[in-house]
Amino acid sequence: MVIDAHAHLTWRSPQSDWEERDRSLIDAADRLGIDQLACSNLCPRPAVPENFTQGNEWVLDSMREYPDRILGYCFVNPGWIREAAEEVRKRVDQGFIGVKLYNEYFCNEPVLFPLAELCIELGVPILTHAGHSHYYVERQPRMSGATHIAELANRYPELMIICGHLGGGGDWEWQIKALRSAPTAYADTSGSVVDEGLIEMAVEVMGVERLLFACDMSMTAGVGKIRGAQISDEQREMIFGGNMQRILAQRGEAQ
Amino acid sequence: MNAYLGHWPFRRLRHNDADGLLGLMDRAGIDKACVASASAIFYKNSHAGNEELADQVAGHEDRLIPFAVLNPAYVDWAHDLDVCVDQFGARGLRLYPHYHNYTLSDSCCSELIAAATERDLVVSLPIRQIDQRQRHWLLEIPDVPLSDLEALVERHPDAKFVFVNGLGFPGSRLGQPDSGLPANYALGISRMRATMTDEVGTLVKNIGADRVVLGTGMPFKYPEAALLKVEVLDASEETKQAILGGNAERLLTSANDC
Repeated sequence: MVIDAHAHLTWRSPQSDWEERDRSLIDAADRLGIDQLACSNLCPRPAVPENFTQGNEWVLDSMREYPDRILGYCFVNPGWIREAAEEVRKRVDQGFIGVKLYNEYFCNEPVLFPLAELCIELGVPILTHAGHSHYYVERQPRMSGATHIAELANRYPELMIICGHLGGGGDWEWQIKALRSAPTAYADTSGSVVDEGLIEMAVEVMGVERLLFACDMSMTAGVGKIRGAQISDEQREMIFGGNMQRILAQRGEAQ
Repeated sequence: MNAYLGHWPFRRLRHNDADGLLGLMDRAGIDKACVASASAIFYKNSHAGNEELADQVAGHEDRLIPFAVLNPAYVDWAHDLDVCVDQFGARGLRLYPHYHNYTLSDSCCSELIAAATERDLVVSLPIRQIDQRQRHWLLEIPDVPLSDLEALVERHPDAKFVFVNGLGFPGSRLGQPDSGLPANYALGISRMRATMTDEVGTLVKNIGADRVVLGTGMPFKYPEAALLKVEVLDASEETKQAILGGNAERLLTSANDC
């Protein structure tokens, strides 16, 4: 089983060619041997409840259209504490497999704590956008780095927190090293960066059981770096899907 | 058309000597590679990197094809060019205008390209060397704008250019049909998409399968990622073989050899 743990569906604005784009994602998965895609639909800013619930509704629609292929992440802005909690409960009940966060808050800010506790209760992971660059990223002042994620993970060791796109978040050596001290945190391998040695270092520093294959829409880059990594077939299988299957099983146990 | 030996100052590279790179190529199923010195990008005297490269390539000429990194703004490049071609067997150049502090329209650059053209060398130019998001805190090197390359190919219609580590070509004249530009350049696929927006497939349609070439960026990058783009490309086997090697062989065949 190959599961892309980080994918996105297209926001269905009237002028967008969202059907064609979503279909092309499925087509790419077909050509690359990806069985399932865990998708969110990020709404335009500001991420207010009206917008993020609409995006999640479209994810549900796609889950129904492609029941064997698309898994749903529920995207929320955790600053809307009550609305986000209601939305997550509702969507997990509808079959969503986890929560997606973007860059509204750093992961270690207290506003996230109720959501983290809810995800523990429901047995679902949080996948968070992440990155660390050695310059100020002006457009994303509250983008979490792996240090923020590690802090949340160590506050809530039962939480399944996934650091997004090791290959799309700047200094991947920093990200991997920061996650060394957070033994319950996961990372996905997505992103357009295919630097040789990235996967091997992540396996060595974090441990293979904490790595999840993903593309984040960089499809050949996502698959190519796992194919190319000097790891055992067993480790490759764990990254490609075994580890994500273990995470998905938690939801069933919680329910 | 896009491989390296040597060191990068901001990240440890693996497989970055001849034996290591050949092992990586064997693993990925790559027969030959055009290699340049990564170290030369940062050496003030880039020719020292070419000398290191020549030492590494020696004995492996059947698989490693040396490309010289030359800085036309640095003294004595003409001599270095002679050495690289006549002694080291270089079949191409790799230019780094932003790292080496000159512009593509500078007269020194035009002189170097003219000298390379006279010798029937491929002139390759990486749009970038690393992803900007992961740059070192000491250094910010912007990408080479595609508009600069449009002007470059027009200024040197007889040159043989290969642009690597770039994307977004269909949005520029370089990747459009009937652009009016000379057909004197090929484009490497290392950063392009081959699914969804499918830049590789678009370029094959727009400028022809004979002008799209495999470039992996190894050992900076996993070569398997670039090979996978060709594998999944919605194109004929003939087109795939051209991208994988046929086009490179044609570019590297010197008119003097014919």
